[in-house]
Amino acid sequence: MSRLAMLIDESICMGCRGCQVACKQWNDLPGEETVQQGSYENPPDLSPTTWTRVKFTELIQGDSLQWLFLTLGCFHCGDPACVEVCPTGALKQDPLLGIVTLERELCNGCGYCTQFCPFGIPRLDTDLLSGEGKASKCNFCQDRVTNGLSPACVKTCPAGAFKFGERDELLVKAHARVEQLKQAGFPDANLYGENEMGGLGRLYVLKERPSVYGLPENPQYPVMANLWQDVVQPLGTVAFVAAALAMLGFYFVARRNIEMEEVE
Amino acid sequence: MIGNKVSRVEQAGQAGVVRIKWIPKYSAMERVFHWGHTVTYFALALTGMILFFPFLQPIAQGESGWLIRLTHRAAAIAYGAFPLIYVILEPRRAWMSLKSVFKVSRYDIDWVKGMVPYYMFGRHDAMAPQDRFNTGEKLNAAVIILGSVVFAVTGLIMWFGKGILPIGVFQTMVLLHDIAMIVTVCMFIVHFYLAVLHPLMWAGLVSMRFGVTSAAYAQEHHALWYYGPEKARETYEAQKAEQAAGQES
Repeated sequence: MSRLAMLIDESICMGCRGCQVACKQWNDLPGEETVQQGSYENPPDLSPTTWTRVKFTELIQGDSLQWLFLTLGCFHCGDPACVEVCPTGALKQDPLLGIVTLERELCNGCGYCTQFCPFGIPRLDTDLLSGEGKASKCNFCQDRVTNGLSPACVKTCPAGAFKFGERDELLVKAHARVEQLKQAGFPDANLYGENEMGGLGRLYVLKERPSVYGLPENPQYPVMANLWQDVVQPLGTVAFVAAALAMLGFYFVARRNIEMEEVE
Repeated sequence: MIGNKVSRVEQAGQAGVVRIKWIPKYSAMERVFHWGHTVTYFALALTGMILFFPFLQPIAQGESGWLIRLTHRAAAIAYGAFPLIYVILEPRRAWMSLKSVFKVSRYDIDWVKGMVPYYMFGRHDAMAPQDRFNTGEKLNAAVIILGSVVFAVTGLIMWFGKGILPIGVFQTMVLLHDIAMIVTVCMFIVHFYLAVLHPLMWAGLVSMRFGVTSAAYAQEHHALWYYGPEKARETYEAQKAEQAAGQES
């Protein structure tokens, strides 16, 4: 099996939020109490109990209105920074399927994943003072896909906006759909996620530029994660060992010379 | 007597000390601060290591990982409280210590030059006169003080600013906290060697335990503090002249 992905065609999505509900149902997540904010968009943000959410954007161009929908959740990056900074191994990237999973039993609530994700996806339910709690995010329905089923959000979509399968095949379909949209009067139509962050496991066909949907145009792997894990920490270990060995050496030199001097 | 050799001053016949004359060096508060800081620093370094060494991953996981994080936070409060209590209860002494730690003179350069012959070969014919703290102690204190400020600022931002501040700020804090840890742990290794392991250097440990030092040791190792600047300079010049004369003959 090669790398899996889901392709979400946001030109087909009708904003029914079935994926949100299916995600909560399959993952056994409770609903949230929210207040009306003047939009069908609800809840207002991802949370420890909301791993998939449809974001609504009202785009006004002249006297025309476009209602844009975007199903947000973990992007399952090819180069996941969260996995690199996670000190517990709770976050893993499946070497075969490429999906990024979070094992909540192993999480200690440090929250580094939330601070190194360029998309701001993982959410914490930790207590401010004691730090007790866990991180949460979309697991690509690992339990379903490893048993030959599609993720709950894909399965439920009544509009057929979600496609699921091998990533390479989805990319071919996505490019064809983008061409089709361009000819149908959407010159800015584009495919999001082909190369970003090592290639995303959540691909979007978008009608407008990514920034219109609130997506980063050019998400970057956080340099600090590399600097911290690959430069500072190994150098630190070397420094500890060097300091300890130097002091041990000095000790023997001092021991010998100082005794000899006293003999004189 | 405290001090490993009869001092030059005594040999010149200026003071024929036989009995040990103890003089106060550290107040009780200063010793509580020093050892309290030592214990909490240890607790912080050990609990923080779960984020540093990948082989500690098994104890970083789940409930035990959270308890280690909680211990780190509790120890951090104590680590910050010790210096604050010192400053509140003994503000004049704290200010005096702080000033002497960050005061640099040409004696410090001379001292560094004499450091290797002294610590590695036991030669201390003409060491530059030192204040209440010698150059090495000052360097250690300066690194620990500045490191602790970095720990406090970055630690508090990571504790209370997570999710409020931009992620770039948090990432920078993580990195600075790590760098401060590496620098201070290396400094700690050197400090431990010189204060506890080095064959000549046990007087400092006695002072930090009982708060006193012998007058003879202070004359030889902290002349600037014991005699004041003028006499210390005269003695130092005389020692250097004597040493130069000895080399010529």
